[in-house]
Amino acid sequence: MITLAIDNQKVQVPAGTTVLEAAEKLGIAIPTLCHKQGFEPSAGCMVCVVQISGFSWLMPSCGTPAEEGMAVQTGTNEVNLARRAALELLLSDHIGDCEGPCRLGCPANMDIPRMIRFIAEGRADKAIEIIRRDIALPAVLGRICPAPCEKVCRRAAQDAPVSIRLLKRFAADADLDAPAPYRPVCKKPTGRSVAIVGAGPCGLSAAYYLAQKGHRCVLLEKNDQPGGMLRCAELKEKLPSRILDREISRIMDLGVQLQGGRELGRDFSLERLQKEFDAVFLAIGQPDHRPPLRLPLEMNEKKIVADRRTFRTSLEGIFAGGGALSSRRMCVKSVADGKEAAEAIDQFLRGQPPTGFQKEFNSRLGTLTKEEWKVFVNGADPQGRLEPDSPGGGFTALQAQSQARRCLHCDCRKKKNCKLRKLSTELKAVSGTYSGQRRGYSRIDDHPEAIFESGKCIQCGLCIQVLKRAGLGKGLTFRGRGFGVQIAAALDGPILQTAAEAARQCVQVCPTGAWSLKSK
Amino acid sequence: MKTTPEEKPLDLDFVDRLTARVGARQSQTLVHLHAIQKEYGYLPPEALQRLSEATKRPLDELWGVVTFYDQFRFTPAGQHQVRVCVGTACHVKGADLVYDAMRRHLEIAEGKDTDAQRLFTVQRVACLGCCTLAPAVQIGNVTYGHVSSQTVPLILQDFLERQKALKRGPDKKAVKAVQEPDGQIRIGLGSCCQARGSGKLLDAIEQSVARLSIRARIKQVGCVGMCYQTPLLELAMPSGQTFLYTRVEPEDAESILLKHFSPTGRGRLLMNRIGRTLDRFLTDTIAESVSRHPVHVRNPQIADFLGCQKRVATEHCGIINPLDLEEYKQKDGFAALEKILREGTPEEALGQIEASGLRGRGGAGYPTYLKWSAVQKSPASIKRIVCNGDEGDPGAFMDRMLMESYPLRILEGMIIAAWTVGASEGHLYIRDEYPLAVERIQGAIEICQAHGYLGQHILGTEFSLDLSICCGAGAFVCGEETALMASIEGRRPMPRLRPPFPAQHGLWGCPTLINNVETYSVVPWILRNGGRALAQMGTPQSRGTKVFALAGKVIRGGLIEVPMGATVRQIVEEIGGGVGEGKKFKAVQIGGPSGGCVPAELSDISVDYESLSGAGAIMGSGGLVALDEGDCMVDIARYFLEFTQQQSCGKCTFCRVGAKRMLEILQRLCNGQGHKGDIERLEELARLIRQNSLCGLGRTAPNPVLSTIAHFRDEYEAHINGRCPAKRCRAMIHYSINTNCIGCTLCAQHCPAEAIAMRPYERHEIDPSKCVRCGTCKNVCPAEAVDVE
Repeated sequence: MITLAIDNQKVQVPAGTTVLEAAEKLGIAIPTLCHKQGFEPSAGCMVCVVQISGFSWLMPSCGTPAEEGMAVQTGTNEVNLARRAALELLLSDHIGDCEGPCRLGCPANMDIPRMIRFIAEGRADKAIEIIRRDIALPAVLGRICPAPCEKVCRRAAQDAPVSIRLLKRFAADADLDAPAPYRPVCKKPTGRSVAIVGAGPCGLSAAYYLAQKGHRCVLLEKNDQPGGMLRCAELKEKLPSRILDREISRIMDLGVQLQGGRELGRDFSLERLQKEFDAVFLAIGQPDHRPPLRLPLEMNEKKIVADRRTFRTSLEGIFAGGGALSSRRMCVKSVADGKEAAEAIDQFLRGQPPTGFQKEFNSRLGTLTKEEWKVFVNGADPQGRLEPDSPGGGFTALQAQSQARRCLHCDCRKKKNCKLRKLSTELKAVSGTYSGQRRGYSRIDDHPEAIFESGKCIQCGLCIQVLKRAGLGKGLTFRGRGFGVQIAAALDGPILQTAAEAARQCVQVCPTGAWSLKSK
Repeated sequence: MKTTPEEKPLDLDFVDRLTARVGARQSQTLVHLHAIQKEYGYLPPEALQRLSEATKRPLDELWGVVTFYDQFRFTPAGQHQVRVCVGTACHVKGADLVYDAMRRHLEIAEGKDTDAQRLFTVQRVACLGCCTLAPAVQIGNVTYGHVSSQTVPLILQDFLERQKALKRGPDKKAVKAVQEPDGQIRIGLGSCCQARGSGKLLDAIEQSVARLSIRARIKQVGCVGMCYQTPLLELAMPSGQTFLYTRVEPEDAESILLKHFSPTGRGRLLMNRIGRTLDRFLTDTIAESVSRHPVHVRNPQIADFLGCQKRVATEHCGIINPLDLEEYKQKDGFAALEKILREGTPEEALGQIEASGLRGRGGAGYPTYLKWSAVQKSPASIKRIVCNGDEGDPGAFMDRMLMESYPLRILEGMIIAAWTVGASEGHLYIRDEYPLAVERIQGAIEICQAHGYLGQHILGTEFSLDLSICCGAGAFVCGEETALMASIEGRRPMPRLRPPFPAQHGLWGCPTLINNVETYSVVPWILRNGGRALAQMGTPQSRGTKVFALAGKVIRGGLIEVPMGATVRQIVEEIGGGVGEGKKFKAVQIGGPSGGCVPAELSDISVDYESLSGAGAIMGSGGLVALDEGDCMVDIARYFLEFTQQQSCGKCTFCRVGAKRMLEILQRLCNGQGHKGDIERLEELARLIRQNSLCGLGRTAPNPVLSTIAHFRDEYEAHINGRCPAKRCRAMIHYSINTNCIGCTLCAQHCPAEAIAMRPYERHEIDPSKCVRCGTCKNVCPAEAVDVE
């Protein structure tokens, strides 16, 4: 047995144990990226580096054998900086989006690509689930949203953007008409209550998500009917009140209480709400009050000052979002605010420090060259963008399905289980810290279920090991060296066909989205 | 040359015959690949497939190996290989311009490396190790030195003429060995000498000796060290008097010989005829060139060059025939081996090594004694020994010279080491760019085998040792010991994490002793003279002597050996004779891509392991390139980083991506596109790469950048401001013609880019949009009319 000290704690391990394994024994978690238990350590990514006494440089713990008397430090400042830098360097040569540009362009961060893929499969019922995770008023937005997502859609560079808004409208309308519409599962009542002032898009959205989290919600609206600016004259034509009513009733169905004709400052005061409710959310819309509304909060001219991430105002327990914070905004932004504020209010009500909506790390594909673009759109559905049969109308099921197929699937197929993304989020890596030449975009998909994108490979070689073990008689190798090193088959033959039935295992072990499954 | 594959199917039986001949073991992989490439001119996929079958090794594994090395190619090459050296010395003397000129002259299309006629394939090569001849170009087996963009067409023509002459067959007469000669004619046949025509000179001498029946013994010797004066011819008379002729042309040979030797027999008649011919040109070139060349060792310049040198590894420099066993033995060769094997114990040998304080000469300076004793102590039944001759640093040629000149001494050192640690099998890993070194070491192995110094029961003892050569294929990282072992084993030469060290887990898992060429070559001296004798030389921390390859901007470049502790100034100014051309000495680059620059102000520091690392450089293997005021330090940093970045194995993130990012910043700076914060970003990346790379290549790669930033930060700042103070970075300079122009049209005639219109007797003008900034106009201008701004 060998005795060593990790972070000043002694541990005994058998000879041949790595420093990483010894740390695990102590319950000390060292992040790893290229390492996979049961495989030969590659010791290449350098995310698992630690400081070992006697070495003036850092050592990758996954490949360093523990030795008698070793003293290891796993969390020094230098170690943390090195780990983050390792990720940032890998990211500077990582060619791919985590999320598609449409999702990043959507103020509500809706998972547009997944919605589209469900529609393409003819599963509008699954699509609406995806939509409603982020958008409380999809049938509304499907009609009036200016669709910033479409402005950044990559397909626009080829012919025209995917009709994202109309696809969303299709799924939302289908749901409204469905015999068993989608109804989110609400958590058990928490016994906490929230007063939401203003039943416009922001307040309705907050109510929708707060209700799902088990909080009692009361909507206080100065008009008799909920909807706020959605009921304004300009939108009448685009947004029939029939649709708006039905969509709002979906929110009310979750147990949200509405008190119409009640206006802040006239019918009740903020102080009273504070006394009666555990939290207050001010979604009072554009400041058009005359005389201006006077609130005991920090204000900037007519607008309420609130934290942009947690929506906290200067008063404890009072949150504000939507048009009350800034003027001239898209409806979808207000809907997004409502959802994100709900998250922060929920945290507050549970006694957690409100951090608000936490964004995951995102890698960006960046600009592609002409050659790369050709590869990127290779195999894309050639049909063009279709306008609905009647002006202001929507897609038929058939149209929606075929339009959905135009999506280029920019988002990563492994975005949910990519170690690189997970670590980049955890270690707060910033993409773009280092920038420079990249390996070039490449995607091969000549396999029934797998796809290989070399631009996302971090050269861990796990797939090489998988194939060696699979014993297919042929395998993969590293080709070349240095910056240009890449995974290749013999004589640069077809990689996926070489991997054959072992491709699934490659997908499983691959720490990034270099190997992925087509169906995702 | 074989016909191209389009014309007829390849004869793949060659591969089967090859594996049958040399064996099919994995460790023979590089042998197989070299042979296949030699046979077909490239590595045809069919041949690799056949090799995979014959060696029962998956083709994917083989593919991983072949694609790692620079020298293997997968498309048919031209008939002749042109390798333009871009080593450090060549770089600072304009190798890029030569490379460009070569491609322009052969009209090689963008993205291609072979001309349309498939006559020449032009490639850059990391370093040919002919740094004193910089810029150097190797065509086929012929090396040309001091090439410039103007002489490119000439050397290509010369090469083709030689090929024609070779086809006609040799026309020299056999020279009979002479009993009791009137004297000895010594001719240097190191690569440098050969590159400067000593082969032709030898032919001329042999012809003259035969024709004039001169009673002299012609002797080939290894490198004399004075590479700047090659080809060298030394005449040793029975009286003990010697005459050294430098820069001898073949045409001069006969007249030099006639000055010192009398023709005999039929030669006398001939002599009269020549005498008359000589008379006719008496005042002309022949007489003049002869009188210009002879120098004596007492000549002050030569005395300076040799003055503070001390010969241990290069003992008997310029006297000894590399492959003459008898002579080697006369000069105490194998005395150390015989004595220790017959009378000593491994502990005694170890004791001498310990007492000598010898530290590894390969770069890191790890105490040799510790390495040896670690292997010796191991209880393993099979141990191995390796000589690291993969001298890949651009700007270094010590190991090449040692291998070419003292192959027997290196083997003796290795045999002693093997006996001491108990190794029974060994390899010498030598760069493929050093064909002469391979040839000589192979010759020496055969001699040793024939005379009982290698093989079973060496010198009648129980000790047995087999040595073989493994030829690299163009991968600098193979100099790293774990990569080197992988390469010998026939695997992809990726360095691995240490520990375990090779002394614990080396070749095929056996404890393995790996030392550098120079380290082994010092061993016999230590055992003969005692460890203490070596320890008396040098400094307390760095004992003994060190061999340096002195090149770059010095008047007298060459292979030198000085005691540790000599100063940089002594080496550059006394031995090297200063930078010359009226220019100012700026810095020396020591240690190649892992080393750094020592600025002129610090040139009084002592050359030893500690002082050099204190100055941000390292001893390295001993490449020492002098730089003058015309050299841009940012460009030097970029040059080295480009090298290490290209040579990175690509395994660890920091070296693979980090070094690339650093290089991109340096490239931007040299292109005049730097911006604020670049220096700080370089420093940050350098620190990270140093700290987090897996092997020595990565950990030392930032050194050239950090040391130049430390000593020449102002130059970096100037580049950010769009100015190259040394007027070196092409993007930031432009050429113009001033009023000195005499209208001779020479510049217009030589301009490769047609940027100068021919205007006889008028002031010429350079079109900046066409100018490629090759500097040809400035070189050819007789009136100093070309300005660089």
